[in-house]
Amino acid sequence: MKKLLALIMSIMLVAAFAGCAGKEDNSSDYDYIKEKGTLVVGITDFAPMDYKDDDENWIGFDADMATAFANELGLKVSFVEIDWDNKVLELDSKTIDCVWNGMTLTDEVTSAMECTKAYCNNKQVVIVPADKAADYQTAESCKSLNFAVEAGSAGKDMAEENGFSYTEVKDQATALTEVAAGTCDAAIIDSLMAAAMVGEGTGYSNLTYTVGLNDEEYGVGFRKGSDMAEKLNEFFSKCAENGEMEKIAEKYGVQAALIK
Amino acid sequence: MSFNNFAEQFPVVFSALNSGFLQTLKLFFVTLLGSLPLGLIIAFGSMSRFKPLSAVTRVIVWIVRGSPLMIQMLIIYFFPGLVLHNNIWGGGEQGRFIAASVAFILNYACYFSEIYRGGIQGVPVGQQEAGQVLGLSRSQIFFKITLLQMIKRIVPPMSNEIITLVKDTSLARIIALQEIIWAGQAFMKGSHGISGQIWPLFFTVVYYLAFSGILTLLFGYIEKKMDYFRS
Repeated sequence: MKKLLALIMSIMLVAAFAGCAGKEDNSSDYDYIKEKGTLVVGITDFAPMDYKDDDENWIGFDADMATAFANELGLKVSFVEIDWDNKVLELDSKTIDCVWNGMTLTDEVTSAMECTKAYCNNKQVVIVPADKAADYQTAESCKSLNFAVEAGSAGKDMAEENGFSYTEVKDQATALTEVAAGTCDAAIIDSLMAAAMVGEGTGYSNLTYTVGLNDEEYGVGFRKGSDMAEKLNEFFSKCAENGEMEKIAEKYGVQAALIK
Repeated sequence: MSFNNFAEQFPVVFSALNSGFLQTLKLFFVTLLGSLPLGLIIAFGSMSRFKPLSAVTRVIVWIVRGSPLMIQMLIIYFFPGLVLHNNIWGGGEQGRFIAASVAFILNYACYFSEIYRGGIQGVPVGQQEAGQVLGLSRSQIFFKITLLQMIKRIVPPMSNEIITLVKDTSLARIIALQEIIWAGQAFMKGSHGISGQIWPLFFTVVYYLAFSGILTLLFGYIEKKMDYFRS
C-alpha cells in the first residue's frame, strides 16, 4: 500500500512536467487575436506615448492609437506593462500581441518582429550636466566623455558608431540617473524622452541635451510573420488621411514628429 | 538627488508604493500558503524508503535549490508559450502573478522541505521507539509525537527563510509583476507625472523593514510559546 502510494506520487511528479505540451497553431495571427477577442498591447510607462491618467487608465499617443485600432477591428484592448528587455520573448510566447510604445525601428527590432511602417520621428541626443553643455556641442567634442546608455538600445548603437566609451545600464532612466549622480559624464537617450525628462521644471533640472546624433523612427512590432502589421499600416494611412492621427498627436504634443 | 516638490510628490508616490506593496504581500502570503504544505510533502518524498521516489525528489530539490529563482521564473513564464506553443498564463497581469506564485511556491517548498527533514530527523529516535512500544501506528507517532517537537525545532530556521522570502518577492519584477520595487523604480523613468526621482526606490526599504520587523516579533512570540516543549 505504501509502495503503491509512493509509486503514484512519483508518476504524478513526472506527469506534472510533461502535462503542459500544447498544439501547434496554423491559423493567422489576426484569426488568433480575433478568436480571443482582446488585443494585448505590451507597453512601458513612457510619457507622452503610454502613461496613466489620474484614474489609472492608460493614455498617451500610442495608447489612444492602439485603442482606436482595436475598436476598428472590433477587439477589446488591454495594456500590460512589460520588462523592455523581454519584449521579443513576450511576443513570441504570446503573453502580449504587440509592442506599441515608442519603439525605435533598429535592425535588432525589425529582424525579430513584424514591424509596421514608421509613424513618428525621433533622434538620439546627448545628455550632459547643464553647466558643462557649452563644451559639448558636437559629436567630436564628446569623445572624451564616459557615456551611460541603455543596454540594447538605439543609443548604444550610436555610442558604438561614434566611437564613444560607454557603459551599458538597465534603461534610459538609469542612464540619466548615472549622469545626475556623476557616475557617468553623459548619456544618450531618445529626444522625445529627453524633452519630457530633462531641463527646467523636470526631475533632472540640472541636465540638458546637446548634440543630436542621428535620425530614427518609431514603429509598432507584432510577432514575426503576423498579418496584423499590414492591417495596422492600412489603419495608419486611413487615420493620416482623415486627420484623426493629427488630432490625437496634438492632444499629446507630438504632432511635430509625426510621419504622414 | 533633488527634493523639489517633495511635499506634492509624496502622496502620489505613497499611494503607488502602497499598491505595489499590496502585490508584494499577496505574493508573500500565497507563497507561504502553497509552500508550507508542499514542503512537508516533498520532505516525506525525500525521506521515503521507496528508493526511486526519494531519488527523484532529491534531484528536484537539487535543481530547484541549485538554480537562481530569477531564471526559474523566466522559464516558468516563457517556456510554455515559446517552446510548447501553448501560453498557459494568458495575456494579463493576473497570469504574471500566477506564474510568479508557481515559481515561488516550488522554490520555497524545496527549501522548507529540507528544514522539515532536519526537524523530523532531529527528534531523538527514542521518542519514536517509545511510541512503538505503546502500540501507536506510524502516522499516530508522526502526528502525536514527532510533529510538535519538529515544529519547535524548525521555528528559527523557518523564520530565517520566511524573512528572506519577504525580500525575494522583488525578483518577480523580472516578469513585470508590479510589486513595490517596480513601483518605486517607475518614478526614475517617469510615472504619474514624476520623473527622475530615485528616493521612492530608496523609500521602499521602509516597507521591507517594517514588515520584516513585524515578522521578527511574531516569530519571537511563537518561539516563546513553544518553550514548554523541552527536548
